[in-house]
This record gives sequence, C-alpha cells and structure tokens, in this order.
Amino acid sequence: MSKIFGVALGILAAIGGFVDIGDLVFNISAGATFGYQLMWVLPIGVIGIIVYSEMCGRVAAVSKKAVFDTVRERVGFSAGLGALIASEVVNLMTLAAELGGVAISLQLLCGLPYRWLLVLAVLGFAIVIWVMSFEWIERVFGYGGLCLLVFAVAAMKLSPDWGKLGNGFVPHVAQNNSLLYLYFVVGLLGAAMTPYEVYFYSSGGVEEEWTPKDIGLNRANAIIGYGLGGFFSVALMTTGAALFLGHGISPEHLGTIALGAQVPLGTIGLLLALVGILFAVGGASIDTVFSGAYNLAQFCGWEWGRYRTNANAPRFTLTWIVLLVLGMGIVMTGVDAVVLTEYAVIFSVVALPLTYIPILLVANDEQYMGRHRNGRLANVLGGVYLVVIMVVALSAIPLMILTNVGQN
Amino acid sequence: MIRRALPLVAALLLTGCNGGTVDRHDLTKDAGTLDSIACEGALVADGVARSRTTVFYAREQAEELRIQTSNLAHALATRKSIPSIERRVREKSNEAAALARVLQRLHDHPSDRTVGADVERLLKHAGNCP
Repeated sequence: MSKIFGVALGILAAIGGFVDIGDLVFNISAGATFGYQLMWVLPIGVIGIIVYSEMCGRVAAVSKKAVFDTVRERVGFSAGLGALIASEVVNLMTLAAELGGVAISLQLLCGLPYRWLLVLAVLGFAIVIWVMSFEWIERVFGYGGLCLLVFAVAAMKLSPDWGKLGNGFVPHVAQNNSLLYLYFVVGLLGAAMTPYEVYFYSSGGVEEEWTPKDIGLNRANAIIGYGLGGFFSVALMTTGAALFLGHGISPEHLGTIALGAQVPLGTIGLLLALVGILFAVGGASIDTVFSGAYNLAQFCGWEWGRYRTNANAPRFTLTWIVLLVLGMGIVMTGVDAVVLTEYAVIFSVVALPLTYIPILLVANDEQYMGRHRNGRLANVLGGVYLVVIMVVALSAIPLMILTNVGQN
Repeated sequence: MIRRALPLVAALLLTGCNGGTVDRHDLTKDAGTLDSIACEGALVADGVARSRTTVFYAREQAEELRIQTSNLAHALATRKSIPSIERRVREKSNEAAALARVLQRLHDHPSDRTVGADVERLLKHAGNCP
C-alpha cells in the first residue's frame, strides 16, 4: 500500500514538475499563432522524454551512474568536456529564464519591484535547497505546479473547436508561414525534451538509491507522470488557440499567459494560474540549479548529492550557489525572461544529441546493464528519436535566424 | 575555427537587433504588434471593468504593455524609413504614443471600474479587436 502511495506521490510531483517556462511560452505562443495545428508535436515530444527518461532512470537503477558519469566514461574526456560545457551554458540560460519567470510571477501577485523580488526569490531558493530534503523539494513544487490544472478548466470554458483540436493531432505541413511553423515544431520538441530534465531525473534516481527492483517504479513515473504532464501542454496550447488567436494577441509577456485563465474564470482563475506558474517555474529553477551542479560534480568525480550534507559535498554545494548567483546576475542585466527562454530552448535543442546519444549507448551496453539493457522496443524508439533529435538539432539555429527568433 | 564561427555569431547578433531602415514589412509587423498590445490591454481592462482581476496584476501587466508600446513609438519615431512610407510610419508612431497614454491610465487606476470600461473601449477601437 505504501509503495502504491509512493508511486502516486511521485507521479503527482512529475505531473506538476513537467511544465517549465519553456513549455509555458512555446505552447501558448504556438496556440496563439497556429491555433490547433501544432497539437501533433506534443505527443511526439512527450513520448521522446518518456523513452529517454525511462532509459536513464534504468541506467541509474542498475549501474548507480547518472548521465554525466556515463558521458565521461563512454565518450571520453574531450568529447565529454564539450558536452559538459554545452550543457552548462544551456542550463545557465534556462536557470536565468526560470528565475526571471519566478520574479515576474511574484510581481504580478504582490506588485513589489522586480529586482527586489528576484533577490528575495534567489535567497528563498538557497534556503529551501539548503534545509529541505530532496523528496520534499520535489513534492512541494510539483504539487504547487498542479495549480496549472486551471488551464485545463479554462480551455474547456473557452469552448474550443473540438474538431479542429482533434485534427491538430494528425501530423501535417503548415497551411501558411512554413518557416515559422517549423520553428515552433523545433521549439515545442525542445521544450518537452529539455536536457536538464533527464540530468535531474537520472541523478534523482541515484540520490534515491534506486535498485533494479525500482525499474517498474521508474517506468510508471516516466510514463504516467510525463504523459499526464503533457496534458498541461495540450491545455496551454488550447487556451492559446481558443483565446489569443481569436483576439489577435501574440503573447510576449509571461503575464499574458495568466490572462488565459483570468478571462474565462475571473480572479480565482488568475490567482491559480499565477501560483501554478510560480511553482512550476520555481521547481524548474531548482531542477536546473541541481542539474548544473550534478553535471559538473559527476564529470569531475566530486562528491555530490542532496543526501550528503552540504559539508560532505562542498564543491557540489559551492557549484549550486555559484549557479544561482550567476543566474540572478544574468536576469539583473534586464534581459527579457521570455526572449531568454526562447534562446535557451533553441540552444538546448542543439545540445540534445550530446545528452541523448551517450544514454542510448550505455542503456545498450551489456557490461553496464546486464539483463536490464534495452529491449527491442526501447531500441527502436530510441533510434527513431535519435534521428528526430539530430534533424531538429541541425535545423534549430538556421530556423531561429530565418524567423528572427520566431518574430516573423 | 574562430573564422568559421564569426558568421554564426554575427548572424545571431543580427537576429536580436531591431535597427535599420523601416520598410513595408517592418511597418506591417509593427502595426500588428500594436494591434496585439491593444487587444491584450483591452482584455486586462475588461477584467478591471468587471472586477474580475487583481489590482497588482492589472497594474503590472498594463505597465509591461505601456513600456512595450512606448519603446515601439520611440523606435518608429527615430528610425529611418523608406521615403514612400515615411508619413505612415510617423502616424503609427503617434498612434503608439497615444496607446501608451491609454495604458498609463489603466496602470494608474487599476481598480477603477469606470476607467477600466473606458480604457477597454478605447483599446478595442485602436486595435480593431473582436
């Protein structure tokens, strides 16, 4: 019974923790720009993150190694260093965007000055990371993120065109502006398969001391948690299509997203949306901070993890503190959080192969995995997604330039 | 290596720039942005008019939209444009400045239902909103 309860809690946390600022920005903007036409990208992204999260969770359970342990071992120092630098740059950009999102959400909730709220948020995160256990951090922010369910209610209240919504799940080419359409395809896939999610997921598996007995738990968490988390993405895109497209609005501010719940549901919808965004983006801030510290510590062979005391993993602790300060410094320059999010998502797409290729290699390695190595289904899906990832990674920067970061 | 990376860096920097001469495409795009801001502002104002929002949200969101509109008005007023559309560009700049003033009213009175209704009407008209 307690195991089922544990699985349910893990799934709830995964649902609430799936959506970050990249998902919020790209899903709403995609709906506001192309209506329901891009719905088909969402299940592709969600299945992709399920496939690779399950794989790296299984690797963590069997080999006790997180992603960057295996990157260093499998691809060597030079290539591993390249992957590390790319992932740390993308992580820092994502962290800054998430911190900016937290400050904006707080400002919309309480009206205090943005920069003060940013400093308060960073201090708050430092205290939370310092004193709270890994499980409770995951749960508090995951459950808070569940307030985003308000967008599902809002989407229903906005009376979407169900026929068009259903048709949107059938892959098709754009009816107009095909370059921008492709840019959104890349952005939506990048937002769903952001590398920090698998770094965090696999390191969490090692932290929670998963064993081969937990492979079923890992699979359930990945499939149900991310699967239902994808439901949020559908709700967000539907809200964008049903409200903003009809009103001719191109959302360019994080606050506009909350308007999607305020218009159909009033003040309570607005407050739930803002609290949901705050917790979802706040949780993602902590995930990215941890991911950055995990990656560096694992690559360098330092002691790492929240299950060690801060004094027992001093370089890991120093790394997450430095990352928080750097992230805050970037936002303090006045850079727009939404613009930064778009850059972070697109650059994370470029770094996707560096993350996912080593996972696929290790999950197939009998020496590491024994009888738990990839089966036929995992290999077919992993291979197909690797091709998708390569194509998307190669086209991300050209599309960003050609569409002026989605502005044309 | 560095020589190969330079064009990419230059291209990346250019994607973030909003300078240069205003042409017809830029003008159409900026006009679309202004309509979008007006329609979004109208929705925020509608929330104020019907007491379906919070004071902080209405105030801060109106301020964000006002800053964006003011920046656009300034850019349209100061950037060079191709001669055939110069008058139209200046008109758009004046429209943007007027829009910013309306949004400033919403920012200053985020709980006043009368102001909310008036601002909503003005913004809907300005942005040709549904």
